[in-house]
Amino acid sequence: MNAPRTINEYLDQLRGALRGADPALIQDALYDAEEHLRAELAEQPGRDEATMLEHVVGSYGAPDEVAEIYRDQEIRIQRAIRPPAPAKHRSLAGRFFGVAADPRTYGALFYMLLSLATGIFYFTWAVTGLSLSVGLSVLIIGLPFIVLFFGSVRVLSLVEGRIVEAMLGMRMPRRPVYPTQGMTLMRRIGSMFTDVHTWTTLCYMWLMLPLGIAYFTVAVTLLSMSVAFIGAPLVMLFRREWLAGVYVDRQVLVDWGFGSHQAGWGDAVALCVLGIVLLFATLHLARALGRMHGHIAKHMLVPREAV
Amino acid sequence: MDDSASQLKKFQKELSSGTVSLVLLAVLGQSRQPMYGYQIAKRLEETGEGVLAGKQSALYPVLRNLEAAGLLASEIEPSISGPPRRYYRITKPGRETLRAWVAAWTATRDSVDNVLQGGV
Repeated sequence: MNAPRTINEYLDQLRGALRGADPALIQDALYDAEEHLRAELAEQPGRDEATMLEHVVGSYGAPDEVAEIYRDQEIRIQRAIRPPAPAKHRSLAGRFFGVAADPRTYGALFYMLLSLATGIFYFTWAVTGLSLSVGLSVLIIGLPFIVLFFGSVRVLSLVEGRIVEAMLGMRMPRRPVYPTQGMTLMRRIGSMFTDVHTWTTLCYMWLMLPLGIAYFTVAVTLLSMSVAFIGAPLVMLFRREWLAGVYVDRQVLVDWGFGSHQAGWGDAVALCVLGIVLLFATLHLARALGRMHGHIAKHMLVPREAV
Repeated sequence: MDDSASQLKKFQKELSSGTVSLVLLAVLGQSRQPMYGYQIAKRLEETGEGVLAGKQSALYPVLRNLEAAGLLASEIEPSISGPPRRYYRITKPGRETLRAWVAAWTATRDSVDNVLQGGV
């Protein structure tokens, strides 16, 4: 590898050396390197970039050395932030019920409930911002408004990434994409529009409304159904006559497929068992949906320039 | 020759993996003002090379980890001469942790010194 002569060359080489690593890690590594290099450059204004970089390769590290350090660190971080993996259950029953002991399940479940609120907010923000941007573009305040709006989209992308990492356990960037230097203001604004990442983020924000509604509905419906089923014996115990009052002819008829009969204790217990199974199936579904959504977020919110 | 050099490098890496966090926390604990990454790197450069055999790029991920653990807090401030900088300062739990780490470090150092001087 030949020695980098400009900061951009250095960053390109670093990006190349990190090829194949987690995109979130690449974004963080590039941010740190750029911050350090620009600080070094600002420290001694008289020096040109090539001499500065020569010095930096000695102190900060050559691109491939830096890449190796970050890869090493990442393994240690992953070990530290991940909750210890729950013990693997061999038996089928153990695997089925073991989902309740996995902290990720509850994170995913909470995310599903939260996603209605965040989904509505993102959607409103994106749609309002886009239409106001288009509408105002004929006026003089149009341009600053558009720039502000696209800036806010980037911030929201980072925020959503933090939420996703905390609740769904998907590694997301901790630092924003470093603002590109050395471009005129107009070019910088132009790059906001040509950047695919901006548009995938907007798509994600738009997509979060239907997804959020679906997640919320599925979680609330399945959870309340399970709890209602599990509570069936309690109704038999305390409020039998009240249950009958729900029906017009005051008779609770149950049909399991062999002809109908009056609801009895057997039915209540069967319903309770069904409810427990449904509850755990819901937890499985939540965990799986959480994992899926983590991948969606990663693909749409993290720029893939390095891949 | 080459083998012993690589052994040395590996040993230095293992040594620094634990001490970098302690050193960073200590530097920020002693500093009156919040400091940014580059500044910390330069400060460590002055104190000598033995402290951190590694490259300065190893500092940034560690800073971020310490922040994630709540031992440091950070904020971004624009600067006149260059790009915006992330300033770190130590938090209250950070100070308590530092005290505990310093005690652990002193104990380790003393016992290692004892062994090396044949005082066992």
